[in-house]
Amino acid sequence: MPSSTSLSEPPRKRRTAPRVTPKADAVPERIHDGALPRGLRLTASDRPGQAQPVPVRDIPDQPWVRIGIAAAVALLVMVGGWEYWARSYGLRTADIGDSPQAWAEQRAAVKPDDVLLVGDSRIFFDTDLAWFERLTGVRPRQLAIPGTNGRILMQDLAYDPAYRGLLIVGMADTSFFRPDGAGIGGPWISGYQRNREPSQISGLWIDRWLQGRLAFLDDDLRFSSLLRRNDHGWRAGVDSPYLDVWKISETFPGRQTFMWHRIEEPGYLRAQARGAWHNFEGPVQKPAITGRVIAHSRRAVEALRRHGGDVVFLRPPSAPPIRANEEKRLPKARNWDALLAGVPAKGIHVDDLPNAQGLYIPEWSHLSRACARVFTDAYVRRLVQLTPRLRLRADAPPPLTPADCLKGVPANR
Amino acid sequence: MIFNSLTFILFFAVVLLLHNLPFSWRQKKINLLLASYLFYAAWNPPFVILLWISTVVDWWAAQWMIRSERQSTRRAWMIISVVVNLGMLGFFKYGNFLLDNFVLLAGSLGVVYQPPKWDIILPVGISFYTFATLSYTLDVYLRRARPAGSFLNYALFVTFFPHLVAGPIMRPTELVPQFEIERRARANQLFFGLALLTLGLFQKVVIADGLLSPVAESVFDAHGKVPLTLDAWAGVLAFSGQIFCDFAGYSTSAIGVALCLGFAMPDNFRFPYGAVGFSDFWRRWHITLSSWLRDYLYIPLGGNRHGPARTYAALMGTMLLGGLWHGANWTFVVWGGLHGVYLSAERWLKARFGGWRPNTAQLVMLSLLTFMAINITWVFFRAHDFATASTLLQSMAGMGKGGAALLTGFDLLAAFGLITVIFGTHFAMRDTTVEAVIERTPAVAIAAAWALMAFLVIIEQGRGNAFIYFAF
Repeated sequence: MPSSTSLSEPPRKRRTAPRVTPKADAVPERIHDGALPRGLRLTASDRPGQAQPVPVRDIPDQPWVRIGIAAAVALLVMVGGWEYWARSYGLRTADIGDSPQAWAEQRAAVKPDDVLLVGDSRIFFDTDLAWFERLTGVRPRQLAIPGTNGRILMQDLAYDPAYRGLLIVGMADTSFFRPDGAGIGGPWISGYQRNREPSQISGLWIDRWLQGRLAFLDDDLRFSSLLRRNDHGWRAGVDSPYLDVWKISETFPGRQTFMWHRIEEPGYLRAQARGAWHNFEGPVQKPAITGRVIAHSRRAVEALRRHGGDVVFLRPPSAPPIRANEEKRLPKARNWDALLAGVPAKGIHVDDLPNAQGLYIPEWSHLSRACARVFTDAYVRRLVQLTPRLRLRADAPPPLTPADCLKGVPANR
Repeated sequence: MIFNSLTFILFFAVVLLLHNLPFSWRQKKINLLLASYLFYAAWNPPFVILLWISTVVDWWAAQWMIRSERQSTRRAWMIISVVVNLGMLGFFKYGNFLLDNFVLLAGSLGVVYQPPKWDIILPVGISFYTFATLSYTLDVYLRRARPAGSFLNYALFVTFFPHLVAGPIMRPTELVPQFEIERRARANQLFFGLALLTLGLFQKVVIADGLLSPVAESVFDAHGKVPLTLDAWAGVLAFSGQIFCDFAGYSTSAIGVALCLGFAMPDNFRFPYGAVGFSDFWRRWHITLSSWLRDYLYIPLGGNRHGPARTYAALMGTMLLGGLWHGANWTFVVWGGLHGVYLSAERWLKARFGGWRPNTAQLVMLSLLTFMAINITWVFFRAHDFATASTLLQSMAGMGKGGAALLTGFDLLAAFGLITVIFGTHFAMRDTTVEAVIERTPAVAIAAAWALMAFLVIIEQGRGNAFIYFAF
C-alpha cells in the first residue's frame, strides 16, 4: 500500500495537472483479444497520485464459444449423473427441504388466532399436520425448529402482542431446560427480518421451484458435507464427522417434516443416525437452572394469556436408550411435573397417551412417518379435552392405535 | 442480492438479455441503472435512499466546483461532499462503536453514563460506494478528472451493480468514460466473462464457504476453548485462505459480470500470498482499496515528501485508519497497526539493505515469511475480541495451556492441503496473469476445468452466505 508510492510519488503541485480523462470520441477499446505480455497490465498500485485510466482487460486467445459449449455439455452430463445417483440413493423431488427463510415465511404468515406448533425436532417430526386438520378442521402452523430450545420460540410469540392463539409447545427435556441459548434456531429467530428481505424471499421461491425438480438439491448432499463424512474418526479425541446428524428427514410444503424413508429401514444409514446419540450423556441438570427455566416459562405464559392466547405443553416420545439418559439428567418429576406445577398451562405427556406407546422410533428420537400420524391422533384427541379452542370434527375418523403404524416394521428394531 | 444466489442468476440473465436487445445506448444505461437499484434494494429497499443522497450531493458538489473559479468555494464544496459522505459512513458504521467507547471513556473518568443502545443496521456496501463517490469529488477538486458529462453517467458510475457493494472500488476516470460510448460484449468476451464468474463462484462457494469456513469457525468461535498449536495454526491458515477466496472470488465474479456486459473493471487481487515483503503484499491485496488509501490519505498526509519521521507517521496513520475502515472494532485497528509496523520496518530495512538481491530459494523463504507474518495479522482481523486473539496467538506459539484438539482429521487436511495449494499457486504466478496462463492452456483442459468448477459449485449448493467484505 502506501510504501509502494516510494520514489514514484507525484510532485506537490499535482493539483494543477491537466485533465486526463479522454474525450468521448477518444475512449480507447480497453477489452481486447489475447493476453497481454507479462507485466504489461498495470494496476492502480503502479500509478500513484494520478487519475486512473480505463482498465485494461485482456481476453485469452482461445476458441471461447466452442469451449463454452463443450463445458455446458460436460456440465449437463455431470449434473444428470449426479441427479441419477441422488434419486437412486433415495432422494425425492417432493422433498423441498427446510431453511431459515422457510421458517421466516411461516412466522410472517402467523395470524392472531392461529394454532402454532413450536419446539424442537420432536414435535417437528412427530406431528402430521394433515391428520391434525382432519381431526379438528384446523391446520396448525409449524414453527418448530430442530435443535432448538422450544422455550425461546414460545417467548418469541408469547411477547408478540398481536398474537392471541393457541401455542402447542413441544419439548425434549434436555433442550427445553437447557440453561441458556436457543440452539440452532437462535439465528433463525434473530435473523427473521433479514430472512424476509426481498432477495431472500425470491431466493426461497426459486429454490423451491428447483428443489421440486432436482432431487440432489438437499443440504445434506452438499459436496463439502459428503467429503466430511469420509472422515470416520481420523483423529483421536475428536468426534467423527461421520457421526454428525446427517439426512434423516424429508420436508414438504408448510414445513411438514417426516422421517426419511431410508432411516426407517434397517441398515447403515439408520445405524449412523443412531450413532449421533453416542455422546448424549451429560451432567445432571442443576435444580437452580430448572427453577429459572420454569420461572421464565411462567412469565411467558402469563404474558400470552394477558393478550388472549394460551399454551399447551407436549412431550413426544423418545426410544428407551435415549429416555433412560434423559431421566438420568432430568427426571420427569423435576422437569415435566415441576413445569406443569409452576406454570399456568396444561400439558400432554406421551406417557399418558395409551395409544402412543410402543411406537416405532427409527433413530431413537423421532417417530417414523406412519407412527407420527398415530402420535398426532393420540395427542390431538387429548388436546381437544384440554382446550376449548379446538374441537373434534363430527366426521373425525376413529382413533388410531400403534398397530396402524407398526405393520412391516422389523421385529428387531 | 449476492452473486452466489439463485436470485442473482435470474436477475443477471434478464439484465444480459435487456443489454443485448436493440435499445438505444441511453435506454440501455437507464436499464442498467434501474437494475443496479433493484440489485441493491433486494437487501433493504429503504437504503437506496442513502445511495441517492450520496449520488446527488456529490454530483452537485462537483458541478459547483467546476462552475467556480474561487479556490475557497471549490474547497467548501469539496468539504461538504466529504462531510456528507463520511458523516453517513460514520453514523451507520461507527455510531455504536463511538457511543460504546464514549461510555467507556466516561466510565474511566468516573462518570456513569448509560445511553439507550442504538439499533443501527449497517447498509450493505456503504464503505465501498462512499469511497467511490468520494474519489469523484476529490478528483474533480484536484483537477485530476473532469466531471461526468451527464447525471446518468455519474449515477451509473456510483450504482453500477458489479462493483456497488464490495468493489473493486472504481474511480470515476476508470468507469465514467466507459459509459460514453455503447458497450456490448462480443461472443468471446461474454464466454470469458462467464468463465471468470464461474471461477469466482468456485472460490467463494466451494473453497471459502464449503471447505475453509467451517475450519476457521471451529477455532475462532470455540467459545473459550484453547486449541492445540496444530489446531490454532490450521484455523488461522484456513481463515487466510477463506478470506482470500471469499474476497478475490467476489472481485473475479464482479470482473466477469462486467465483462459479460462489455465493461472492463480493474484487477483487485494479484496473487497476494506470493508477495515478497509487505509493500509487495499491498500491491497485490485489495489493490483498489490500498491505492485509494494511498492517493487520498497517505499522500495528503505528507507521504514520503517530508522526511522519514513524517513518512512513518503517515504510514501508520493510513494503516490505522485503513484498519478501522474494515470494521468498527479495536481488533481491526490493531490489524491495521500491525501492517503499519510491518511496512515501516520493511521501509527501514530497505533503506539499509536496499542493494541486496535474493536468489530463488531466498525469495521463497521471504515469501513464506511474509505469508506467516500476514497470518498473525489475520488473527486480529477474525477474532471477535482481544481475549480470543490472545488465546490463539499463545496456542500458535506453543504456549497455550490446557489445549484441546478442536479440528477433525478432515479439517486439518482441508486447511493445510488447500493453503499449500493456494500459497504455491500464488508464488508460481506472482509474475503473470490468469489470462496469460489460460492462453497457454489447451482448450480441452479449459473446458474440462470450467465444467468441473461449475459442477462443484452446483453440487455444493451454497447457502447464499454473504461475502465477508459486505460487512465492511
